[in-house]
Amino acid sequence: MATQENNDDRIALLQGTLDLLILKTLVLGPCHGQGVARLIQRQSEEVFLVDHGSLYVALQRLEDRKWISAKWGVSENNRKARFYSLTAKGREQLVQKMGEWQRLTRAMGLILEPGNGLQPEEA
Amino acid sequence: MFRRKRSAEDFAEEIKMHLELEADELRSEGLSEDAARRNARREFGNVQAAQERFYLKDRWVGLDRLFRDIRFALRSLWQSPGFAATAILTLALGIGANTAVFSVMNAVLLRSLPVADPGRLVYLRTSNPPRNTGTIDSNQTFSYPVYDALRRQNRGLSPVMAYVPLSGSKVAVRYEASPEEAEGDMVSGTFFSGLGVSLIRGHGFSEDDETNHAPIAVISYNYWTRRFARNPDVLGKTLYVNGVAITIVGVAAEGFEGVEGGGSTDFWIPMQSRPELNAWGNPLDDGKTYITNSTWWCLRLIGRLAPGVTRTQAVAQLQPIFQRAAYIGLGAPMQGEKPPILSVVDAKNFPGDDMRYGNPLRILMAMVGLVLLIAMTNVVMLLTARNAARQREFSVRQALGAGRGELLRQLLAESLILVSAGGALAWGFAEMATRLLASWAKIESSLAPDRTVLLFTLGVLLFAAVLFGLAPLRTALAGGAELALKTSAATSNTNAGKSRTGRIIVAIQMALCVVLLVGGALLIRTLRNLENTPLGMQVDGLVVFGVKPNITSIPEGTAFYVRLMQQLRALPGVESVTVMEERLGSGWSDNSDMKVDGKLPDVANGSSRTVRSNVAGPEFFHTLGVPMLAGRDFVDSDTAASPHVGIINEQFAKRFFPNQNPLGHRIGPDNMDWEMTIVGIAKDHKYRSIDEEPIPMAWYMYAQIPMTGAMQVEMRVHGEPLAILPSARKALQQINPNLPLIQPMTQRAQYDTTISGQILFARLAGFFGFLAVVLVATGLYGSLSYRVNMRTAEIGVRMAVGARRSQVVWMILRDSLVLTIVGVVIGVPLAMLVGHALASSLYGVKPLDAASYLLSVLGVAMVALVASALPAGRAASIDPMRALRTE
Repeated sequence: MATQENNDDRIALLQGTLDLLILKTLVLGPCHGQGVARLIQRQSEEVFLVDHGSLYVALQRLEDRKWISAKWGVSENNRKARFYSLTAKGREQLVQKMGEWQRLTRAMGLILEPGNGLQPEEA
Repeated sequence: MFRRKRSAEDFAEEIKMHLELEADELRSEGLSEDAARRNARREFGNVQAAQERFYLKDRWVGLDRLFRDIRFALRSLWQSPGFAATAILTLALGIGANTAVFSVMNAVLLRSLPVADPGRLVYLRTSNPPRNTGTIDSNQTFSYPVYDALRRQNRGLSPVMAYVPLSGSKVAVRYEASPEEAEGDMVSGTFFSGLGVSLIRGHGFSEDDETNHAPIAVISYNYWTRRFARNPDVLGKTLYVNGVAITIVGVAAEGFEGVEGGGSTDFWIPMQSRPELNAWGNPLDDGKTYITNSTWWCLRLIGRLAPGVTRTQAVAQLQPIFQRAAYIGLGAPMQGEKPPILSVVDAKNFPGDDMRYGNPLRILMAMVGLVLLIAMTNVVMLLTARNAARQREFSVRQALGAGRGELLRQLLAESLILVSAGGALAWGFAEMATRLLASWAKIESSLAPDRTVLLFTLGVLLFAAVLFGLAPLRTALAGGAELALKTSAATSNTNAGKSRTGRIIVAIQMALCVVLLVGGALLIRTLRNLENTPLGMQVDGLVVFGVKPNITSIPEGTAFYVRLMQQLRALPGVESVTVMEERLGSGWSDNSDMKVDGKLPDVANGSSRTVRSNVAGPEFFHTLGVPMLAGRDFVDSDTAASPHVGIINEQFAKRFFPNQNPLGHRIGPDNMDWEMTIVGIAKDHKYRSIDEEPIPMAWYMYAQIPMTGAMQVEMRVHGEPLAILPSARKALQQINPNLPLIQPMTQRAQYDTTISGQILFARLAGFFGFLAVVLVATGLYGSLSYRVNMRTAEIGVRMAVGARRSQVVWMILRDSLVLTIVGVVIGVPLAMLVGHALASSLYGVKPLDAASYLLSVLGVAMVALVASALPAGRAASIDPMRALRTE
């Protein structure tokens, strides 16, 4: 266990956000699971720690909902891989989820930004 | 539905490829081959967990869990095969016995006739027949004129159908060259259409067939199978019934075996008017068949309620018609004579079955119910014991996070397996048992379990499954998770060893066992009494069979029997031969009043004037081995030309000739000018059945009275009686090749048929008593040895501080002795109630027979002693050091 070093500025993903990230990643084009994980990690500037187990379960879930589709193909370095791509239904979902997310972050921001009069009370 | 869109292998492949892609990337970032692989793996985290999550996702988890529970339960039962086998066998016996008895009860008492709308069918009954009539059954049979009048109306009952057998037993039927016997009925033309019985081949009868007495027959499905191997070309074939050619025109639907109680009819023909085919196989009475003889009430009637008519309305409609028709051919009723009153009863089952089998069956059902109760409590005790011993296992599992629900599911799964296995075995037992029962009881209608029985059994099984699942749950959970933390195996089990519920159950089982044993003992003593009843004759070595020549002239008939007896006497191994009209031990008798010296005798203080009579041949009493008290037997030289002679029994002499010598007095039937001189007095013997009391009897000499037709031949032979039959058959067929031996059997077997019901009942009751004892013994042994095991540590401590072996043994024995006493105290009064209910089925035993009770109590005590002795012995031989070291 001791070998597991914890990169402290990485944070675990919020519940429900993984789906959104996957859909967003796939807008760029079909990609396999490992690629999706790398992309999320890289684009978040290594802040997000993607649990790969959860990732694959999420991919499967999205596939079952027909938001993404999958087929086996060959990666750029000639490895067999399962490629996921966004479906029309997935695109709709992405737009909708992004809207939800923006509303959420805005609301969070309103509360958390100073000057709103909402200060933690003294214990 | 349960097919997954994607296999787990596919998913595993994807993860494998992920790891390789990741490793590739890391390598390209400059890591070594080894480090790249390691890091890729580490980054991924728990591969197995991911796969498991994938596996569980969207699966129909319930079913999956069920399979898992069942697999787990199977493994766990497999580890204690002794327990599993005992529980399954106990259940199979208990449930099997219930299924078997219930299916007999269902077939005999509950199941409807296999006809259309049986609820609208009724049997016709009369309060009494008019005076001067002869009947087959004084409430159930009617004369032809009554039938004729009733069927001509159609407002109350439509139609009214008559049916009457061609013989009291079976009738001679020849098909091609082989003569045999079958059960045949003459029926109305409306019989099949009125009952709503369909024919699978050919057609039924019409009213014209009845009017014309058409020589046609419908055969039963069974007979078609048995005699014709379901030959589809059977229609148009000819049967010779008593020598009369009858053409087969139809085959009745499977399952329809006629409306004669207890038997199964092989074929039906429309009502006939020929002397060869008289009702009940009787010879003509004064030249009249059943149709013309209005004094013979011999037809059974069944009717269908007309549409929209209630029973009461139907009876009201029919009553005047019936009462008018009852006196057709009899003249006006006498002054003050009570007219017969018509009534109807449900025709849902076979008539008479309820009377004959109802009570014994209900008692047997109660007995097997008790057996089932014992069996179920046994299994509950076994389960409780087993699960109490597994308390630590359950505690550990609870401590590891198993919920109560999960434990319950596991217990239910185990119970489900036990119950299903037990149930399947039980069904097999029941199938076998009903087949055996049917052959023992000579019930020819089908007793096989049907859908009702299946539902009954499934109900019992379901109840058992839930009971067995829930009962041990309390013990299983009682420990709780914290029990796992306690270290001592012995201390954790002490409570279970003293469970009060366990003690109560054992005591109740003992009580039930006493009840079943007393019931069994009473019935078996009844059986012994019946079997050992002296018959008043030397019955061994006698063989009897019927012969029915088609002869109408009296001298020819006599000559036939003279010749037959001569031929039979000449056979090697034959000691003597005689004939009689009514077979001994057949349950039938011919009862009437008799004139003594020309007038009806005066009898003291209202005792009956009824005399039973029979027609007998020469050497009758010599052949039977009945001693003559005075005078002589019939002899060959008593012929039609010599003076008419008769023989009476002791009872006759005592009742009608008190303090006189009856020899030389004249007796004769009430309604005929015909007399015979008493030449002999025979000792009383059993005549009609084994359990009868002797009544006055008189015998006519067959050669001297105007009769022809069927007679019973009785032969006394050396060696095995039945071995004579082939040569006897040859001798008979030398005289007439058409004649079969009718119902050949030993005279002993014939008498035994009169108690076959009691024999069967007693054997079954005895068997169930025995079964109960075995179950109680195993249950007691199981629970006691379990209790002793639980107390190993305690016993070790006691012995370590100086208890002697005998004290330990006594401690264990005392425990079961107390339970036995409690059981007996509860059981004996219950048994007395049962004995009371049995009273009508007992013979020569009182319901409070002390010996039966004593034996039963002793039996239960023995069982308790034996079942406790082994565990007690084991307890006493515990090495104190070893016992303590198990701590």
